Amino acid sequence: MNENENNFESLRRLLALKRHEIPPPGYFNDFSRQVMSRIRAGETAESWEAAGASWLLKFLQVFEAKPAFVGAFACSLCLLLLLGIVYAERPDGMAKTGLLASVTQPSVSLADATSSVFSPSSVQTGLMVSTNPVLSLAPDASLFGQQSPLAQPVSVNFSLPGN
Amino acid sequence: MIMAEPAARQDLESPAPVDEEVLVRQARRGDLTAYDELVRRYQERIYATIYHMTSNHEDANDLAQESFIKAFQALKSFKGGSSFYTWLYRIAVNKTINFLKQRKNRTHMSLNDLDFNAEHDPDLVALISDKTPRREAGLTELQEKLNAAMLKLSEPHRLVVVLHDVQGLSHDEIARIMDCNIGTVRSRLFYARQQLQGYLSDYLRPT
Repeated sequence: MNENENNFESLRRLLALKRHEIPPPGYFNDFSRQVMSRIRAGETAESWEAAGASWLLKFLQVFEAKPAFVGAFACSLCLLLLLGIVYAERPDGMAKTGLLASVTQPSVSLADATSSVFSPSSVQTGLMVSTNPVLSLAPDASLFGQQSPLAQPVSVNFSLPGN
Repeated sequence: MIMAEPAARQDLESPAPVDEEVLVRQARRGDLTAYDELVRRYQERIYATIYHMTSNHEDANDLAQESFIKAFQALKSFKGGSSFYTWLYRIAVNKTINFLKQRKNRTHMSLNDLDFNAEHDPDLVALISDKTPRREAGLTELQEKLNAAMLKLSEPHRLVVVLHDVQGLSHDEIARIMDCNIGTVRSRLFYARQQLQGYLSDYLRPT
């Protein structure tokens, strides 16, 4: 090994040059401060995370101590869920018009309802608001508003033969 | 100032071992003042080792800081089987090797300046004297060629050269840091020196 050491003596002298490479002046004066500030910053972040976790733990501990809170909390959650479902399933138009109609016309008699439904004006109105393009282009071709040309009045005699 | 002066060749575990033990114990309890003292004690040697491995000041700065931070975070797992310094060194070396593997083929040298003493170092003066094959070579050129040649070595071979020929650690200490046996350290050192001699033959005096 000594022979090897001698063979590499020149190289070792050259490698000594690396010991003379130095960082910028004053570099090490600030080094430990930077390390310590990074460590403190990391600890602060960890403590914030820990604080978040402890808040959750306290919240859960309240539930453990008082079962009434659990019931109340669960009921309010269920109520919120139901309201959400009802509100989500109701269409916007239906929600508005249906609600308005029921508020403005609280009681409608059967006769009024029948007449309004089968009156030509209401049918006309209904056709006009229809989204069917064929029907809307031919508003007179309705079942109730116009008589068919093939339909003829026929007189019927209900008297019994032999009377 | 000379980094990692051969004075570091003295046993690394000898300087005030009791104090170090106390400091480590206090730091384990979260005493940042004690850990600050440990950082100040080893910052130059840790930085120098990483710098000689990377040949880049900015990378060495980042890696050295991260090594100290990781050591603080892992201090609770430090069982005291080896000295704190050896343990810290191992963290820094592993971090550096991982970094170099990721940075593969993207080497960028950012070399530090040479100190004033370099021009008066008799060994270096001899290298750039009339007997040197490349007489025109200045110290800065030598520095660049040397670092470029070092970067051509594989990480384990470079590490052995840095720890032994630059930092002045013993084979035994290097074996503990690299977690291998002394024979491996010796064979790596021999191979690495051979490689370097080939790369730098123009700048070396014939023996």
